[in-house]
Amino acid sequence: MKRLAGIFWSLLFLAVPVLGVATFAIAPSIDVWLPKDVSSHGHEIDSLFYFILALTGVVFIATEVLLFWFLWKYDAATREGEPATYIQGSHTLEVVWTIIPAATLLFLAIYQMNAWANVKMRRPDMPPTVEVVARQFEWRLRYPGRDGALGTPDDLHLVNDLHLPIDEEVLVQLKSKDVLHSFFLPNLRIKQDAVPGMKIPVWFCGTEAGEYDIVCAELCGWGHYKMKGRVTFVTRPEFDAWLERKYAEQEATQPEPEAAGELVAN
Amino acid sequence: MKTPLRPLVLAAVASLLAVGCGPTPPAAFRLNMVEAVAPSAEKDSVAAELALSIDQQRQVATILAALFGSPDEPFCQPEMGLDPAKLRLAAGPVRSDIVGRKNGLYREHCVHCHGITGDGLGPTAAFLNPYPRDYRPGIFKFKSTERSDKPTHADLVKILHNGVPGSSMPSFALLSPAEVDALAEYVKYLSIRGETELALMRTFFELDDDAQGKLAETREFLIDEIVAPIAEKWTAASEAVIEVPEMPADEDLAASIEKGRALFHGNKANCVKCHGVTALGDGQANDYDDWNKDIVKIRDKLAKLAAGEADAAERRWAAGFQEVLVSEALRPRTIPPRNLRHGIYRGGRRPLDLYYRIHAGINGAPMPAAKGTVASEDIWHIVNYIRSLPYDFDGELGADRAVAVRPGPAVGLAATQED
Repeated sequence: MKRLAGIFWSLLFLAVPVLGVATFAIAPSIDVWLPKDVSSHGHEIDSLFYFILALTGVVFIATEVLLFWFLWKYDAATREGEPATYIQGSHTLEVVWTIIPAATLLFLAIYQMNAWANVKMRRPDMPPTVEVVARQFEWRLRYPGRDGALGTPDDLHLVNDLHLPIDEEVLVQLKSKDVLHSFFLPNLRIKQDAVPGMKIPVWFCGTEAGEYDIVCAELCGWGHYKMKGRVTFVTRPEFDAWLERKYAEQEATQPEPEAAGELVAN
Repeated sequence: MKTPLRPLVLAAVASLLAVGCGPTPPAAFRLNMVEAVAPSAEKDSVAAELALSIDQQRQVATILAALFGSPDEPFCQPEMGLDPAKLRLAAGPVRSDIVGRKNGLYREHCVHCHGITGDGLGPTAAFLNPYPRDYRPGIFKFKSTERSDKPTHADLVKILHNGVPGSSMPSFALLSPAEVDALAEYVKYLSIRGETELALMRTFFELDDDAQGKLAETREFLIDEIVAPIAEKWTAASEAVIEVPEMPADEDLAASIEKGRALFHGNKANCVKCHGVTALGDGQANDYDDWNKDIVKIRDKLAKLAAGEADAAERRWAAGFQEVLVSEALRPRTIPPRNLRHGIYRGGRRPLDLYYRIHAGINGAPMPAAKGTVASEDIWHIVNYIRSLPYDFDGELGADRAVAVRPGPAVGLAATQED
């Protein structure tokens, strides 16, 4: 009976690494893995992710298997009468298990620096392609219009429906109107907090045409979960044509007969 | 040890069953209590005898349920011109229907601010400024029709699509067109229902003595006398869109802006009265919109009643009504005139939208219609001037503003240093 309890507990602990690894193995096939990467820098982020996952994965499996093995091997039921041994501790061992993780962390810190700098520090020298203003609970957009400058009468104002050209660097000027939000483009491996009172530059380059999600990744109020936008990547000529069309709509002085229909069919 | 524990466990389970696991009461429309207790039609003589009796309130609720159904199962009469399929999509609890389409859109997206009855009294309403729209009076601000007309379906769709910048209403641009369409239809439904409720309550005061305080519950009376006049206004809206003359094309923009500036400051349009000479919205700012004005009027009447020589019964009624105001209405707030230099336009930023706003005014708000006083060509000049305001940092107005900077803090600082 006692032995059975020992077997139960050790197998339960063994189940942790087994199920843990199985979860990761199955995840991509049931579509709960990283969303499709459509950015020029995403592979760098992804390979960092995989590298750290592998590193922590090996340590995780080793630790968990060791836990199982100790439970199994040193089960009191199989070692009746054997007294516990007293050890003083091992200085060498302590030094080793301090230095190895410290060195690993230091290595990671240095190894990821370039990726971090590319995404957050090496801001391209260009005017903003679009200004995104987060607000409870929507994304207000402002394009600079033909003169390329924001804050002029030819700005184009839109909401939630972001369009951007593919295969070129774009610079988003991120602001918040009320509280903290976070501008999250899962398919572009971009996540940046929007902070009230700050203009934060965000840059990236989309590589594949299509529609992708914009979501808020910072709990910003009761409607946070509904604060969704859409980014559509199109070719440069299509993008320019879209800007022109939207600008013409914004400057309308007459109701268009199909305007109502188009809003519905949009 | 076991015996004394058992009653405790039983009690815990019983209370859990009673509180936690009991069936949720079905969603129900709320009666317009403010109107029932102090009818707005009779505001000049708010008094105890005008309040509807409990029986009369019950009759209104019964008639409304017969005409409109419940929030879970809404229905409409053919005379209302509503599409029942769209209402079903928008109403009820959030769920998927047999073909996997999401139903219950109103409760997913709107109810927390606009309330289950469309009374603008949802749980988040009190935290918002401006307050969410109360659909029941059937008044809508941003539309392409004349001031007293209803908005068109396309107007409601446009507001859902763009949101209302400057208020808490977000955009629903990414919902499917069918979903937005259904929500606009449901807003109309709630509005027609609210207007019908108001009409029913007001009808009680026109009853003869032989009616014994009861309304006739015949279909002819309810549909022909009450519902049809309301529904007709809604169906007529699409035919009542304002004719907009072409913007004067030969005009130089700068010249047009200059004309607009003169009109803005002139006596005829007199925009400065509320929007201020600087257009910062700092003119007359102590007015209320219609929704708040009703509450303010009743509140003032109550105060007068309490101060005057009311008899005991009236005092009791006034005290009771104070309670109704606290639970059924939000604290009234003034409506500030728009600061036209922000470049935020609640009803849309197209020149066309601004033309509609100036031409027809804003229903429910103090903004008057310029139609009739200002020529349509001149309205276009004002539109051009207003559109230039957010970018007008130099020139005379800018100079005015520089002068207007108060030397207060500097003086205060000097005083502190002397101390």
